[in-house]
Amino acid sequence: MAELTYRDAVAAGIAQEMARDESVVFLGEDIGAAGGVFKTTLGLLERFGPRRVRDTPISEQAIIGAAMGAAMTGLRPIAEIMFSDFFAVCWDMIANEIAKTRYMTAGQIALPLVIRTANGYGSRFGAQHSQSVENWAMAIPGLKVVAPSTPLDVKGLLAAAVRDPDPVIFFEHKGLYSTKGEVPDGEIVDRLGTAKVVRQGEDVTIVALAAMVPKSLQAAERLAAEDGISATVVDVRSLVPLDTKTIFEEVRKTGRLYTVEENPRLCGWGAEIASLVAEECFYDLDGPIVRITTPHVPLPAADLLEDNAVPTVDRIVETVRRNAG
Amino acid sequence: MDVVMPQLGETVKEGTVIAWRKKVGERVEKDEPLFEVNTDKVDMDVPSPATGVVSAILVAEGATVRVGEKLAVISEPGSQATREPGVQETRLSPVVRKLLAEHGLDAAAIQGTGAGGRITRDDVLAHLAERGAPQRKVVPFSRIRKVTAERMALSWRTIPHVLQAVEVDFLPVEEVRLAAAEAWKAKEGFNLTLLPFVAHAVCAAIREFPNVNASVEGDGLVLHGAVHLGVAVDLGTEGLLVPVVKDAGNLGVADLARRMRGLAEKARDKRLSADEVSGATYTISNSGKFGTLLTAPIIDPPQVAILSLDAVTKRPAVVGDALAVRPIGVLAQSFDHRAFDGAYSASFLRRVKEILEGRDWARDL
Amino acid sequence: MDRATRLALYRSLVEIRVLEKRAYDLFLQNLVKGTSHLSLGQEAVAAGFAVAMRKDDYTFCTYRGHAHTLARGAPMVGVLGELMGRKCGLMGGKGGSMHLTSVEHGAMGSYAIVGAHLPVAAGAAWSAQVRGTDQVSVCFFGDGTTNIGAFHEALNLAAVWKLPVIFVCENNQYMEYTPIREVTAVANPAADRACAYGLEKILIDGNDADVVHRTARECIGKARDGGGPSLVEALTYRTSGHSRADPGKYRPAGELDDWLKKDPVVLYRVRLVGMGIEENALRDIERAVERAVDEATEAAKACPPSGVEVIEKDVWADGGSSWRN
Repeated sequence: MAELTYRDAVAAGIAQEMARDESVVFLGEDIGAAGGVFKTTLGLLERFGPRRVRDTPISEQAIIGAAMGAAMTGLRPIAEIMFSDFFAVCWDMIANEIAKTRYMTAGQIALPLVIRTANGYGSRFGAQHSQSVENWAMAIPGLKVVAPSTPLDVKGLLAAAVRDPDPVIFFEHKGLYSTKGEVPDGEIVDRLGTAKVVRQGEDVTIVALAAMVPKSLQAAERLAAEDGISATVVDVRSLVPLDTKTIFEEVRKTGRLYTVEENPRLCGWGAEIASLVAEECFYDLDGPIVRITTPHVPLPAADLLEDNAVPTVDRIVETVRRNAG
Repeated sequence: MDVVMPQLGETVKEGTVIAWRKKVGERVEKDEPLFEVNTDKVDMDVPSPATGVVSAILVAEGATVRVGEKLAVISEPGSQATREPGVQETRLSPVVRKLLAEHGLDAAAIQGTGAGGRITRDDVLAHLAERGAPQRKVVPFSRIRKVTAERMALSWRTIPHVLQAVEVDFLPVEEVRLAAAEAWKAKEGFNLTLLPFVAHAVCAAIREFPNVNASVEGDGLVLHGAVHLGVAVDLGTEGLLVPVVKDAGNLGVADLARRMRGLAEKARDKRLSADEVSGATYTISNSGKFGTLLTAPIIDPPQVAILSLDAVTKRPAVVGDALAVRPIGVLAQSFDHRAFDGAYSASFLRRVKEILEGRDWARDL
Repeated sequence: MDRATRLALYRSLVEIRVLEKRAYDLFLQNLVKGTSHLSLGQEAVAAGFAVAMRKDDYTFCTYRGHAHTLARGAPMVGVLGELMGRKCGLMGGKGGSMHLTSVEHGAMGSYAIVGAHLPVAAGAAWSAQVRGTDQVSVCFFGDGTTNIGAFHEALNLAAVWKLPVIFVCENNQYMEYTPIREVTAVANPAADRACAYGLEKILIDGNDADVVHRTARECIGKARDGGGPSLVEALTYRTSGHSRADPGKYRPAGELDDWLKKDPVVLYRVRLVGMGIEENALRDIERAVERAVDEATEAAKACPPSGVEVIEKDVWADGGSSWRN
């Protein structure tokens, strides 16, 4: 067992898979010689060499296109897009080409690739470098979508993503890169499509993703201490495939659902979960489903503004408190 | 937040709402005009006291209200409080509706502990838990049950009970009873049962076996002579009442039937007098309608015996050397072994049997 | 060039010509729905390269891809079946005319978003480089593609990484309905940009099958030997409109007639006769092709339409489309 940072877990996960399978290759901007702008890929070029670890020009379309071409011809590429906001620059490659090609070719073309990216708020880089765009990916059929919240989940889910035969978009949260967690030694492979109950409660169910998970846990502690409200917290982890079984089970136990989403208000990932619960767990609900989200605005840059735009522990506590009973 | 009619002048006592500027459900900002009011001094737009959503308008355009009266309610935006504060929350959530329907419950019967008195899922579940689950529940004794319990326990503690039983062929009785049944019912208004026949036979047998109709007092047996026959009436879970047919030994079958019927009705209506439930010297208990084979009844002190009549059913019987089908029933007597012994009791029972099987009952009706 | 190669070239030209004409007829009979982009007049580019390629080389082309897919050996019934939405289509009706794919024949897809497949072709070439095979990737696109971002990114990456990919611009003079010269900063949209990537300017007569074939052999050979990418501009003309919906009224008077005089199929036949190839041999090829196209047409017509059961198939490698448990 070791304590790893979230960023170290990224490198460890990639290394684990590249060591295991010769066909795994890795490309992106500044990922090799520099070890990644977030220092998430240190040591990989040294260990696996320039044939399998490539630094690219600033060419998002070429990076993703090359990953696609390599994936369909026998390799298992991992491509990095430095900031998830840049998906907009190569969205054709992701949404039109990679997501749809297996379907259009009736299964002739296989695309076992992973696109990993730094997602989310907290670095004070401003609106174009701070978005959470996992909901964009969730909305496109043909993409699997994962967003871990702990170093253990990073390593395990990255391994699962690389071994998955389908395209997986792997959303790392840049605000969590410095967080630490226990990661057992040895090979770790998790499963896509599985959520985790990280806190078991009785009164309300809070469903959260990535950086919103630790906030929800803090809020749960305060709700227990200050209001006597016992909260379950579910870390969704995987948006596609979605672990509806676990989510429904936990909602049915309490009858109340809150989602905590970093996405702006409209069409965040929680809207889909709220809709599914409203449809399939309607008769188990003891109160309205409430979504706690960033308002529908771009993210501001100043630290106080950015921190208060996304859901805060205070806002989660107040919202649950206000809607209790 | 409540919106009230403002005081628009020192002497102004009331105002007329000319027009509402916002509708129910519309958002309003603090200080935005909410309604126009007319008083004898002035016409003006009244600004909203808060930012939120107009959740209720209580006064129509054109109405005149006194200063301070509530006109409308503004609720916080984004909260679920779209009901007037102070008005009981009567909306039922989906899970509450489902539970009410599943268990046939009335919402009115359930105490709501949620916001605004809302009935929550836990409220319904708590109600169900109290109501009738196979859980421990305390049902206090009724007065009759209490008395019955005390007397039964006392009897069992103090009297050495012995049980003896005989099988009786009720054909002779049944032939007469059934023949007379229709006419009896028409005349008397109730059914003629086996019980008065048994009672008459018991009273007759007691004349030959008086110790059965006695009480133990100190070191002696007090023979009562007259038979005051207790007839147990089952009141369901409430207990037993044993009204007494006074001087039963001098009554014929028909009179016994009438007296027993009368007392039973009074018992069920709780109209028995103290006199009517005391002084029994011998008791008969009838479990027949429940189909039991045999009962070991508990003696009612200070009596020394009690007889149980159980179900009379058609069974194969040997008559002479042939097999026949006869209505057979078991008479079982519990007796106090301090008063007499098995032989005495058995002889008594044999006599009762003989009377039941041998008497010409037609002459009794 | 030996006789066998020339006959192979001629056969390929005739196959493309006859099949594309048949596709046009079927469209008029309303058996081909949607749209179709035909290569009538541009046969020599497809034929010239296909005959020069190895079975394990990769072809990437645009939505005007019937010719390339056919030239690599994909079955005619599969091509016509796909156009008509039948079960026997190359992709079972899932992709349609613009996405013809036959991985088995190295036809790695026809791509409908302008420029998208250039990085993908580069990626396939990179894959060959990583795996250490000497496969090459040949990427066909139109003159309009040279002005889109992905063109630049792919060319640059291919040049920097010295990838074994040949980019072939079929300059048919028109970007959809607009003359290419009116929207391009240089006279030869591909050839004049090669120097931007340190590549040789290669401008050829795209209607001369021999010239195309020779150029193909040179560029493919260079790539196989590790010499890196090439950018070829082949001048040609499409004798039908941009797509079936286009009657081509934007062409100046006489332009079409001039180009019809340079019909690649007719020209090549004349040359072969001039070289002493027997009339019989040529007629045998023509008749065989006619017969093959007729048979394929009847077979495709007789085939049932694709069933609705395939609608939810082949999003993922497991053949399904499930996004939840």
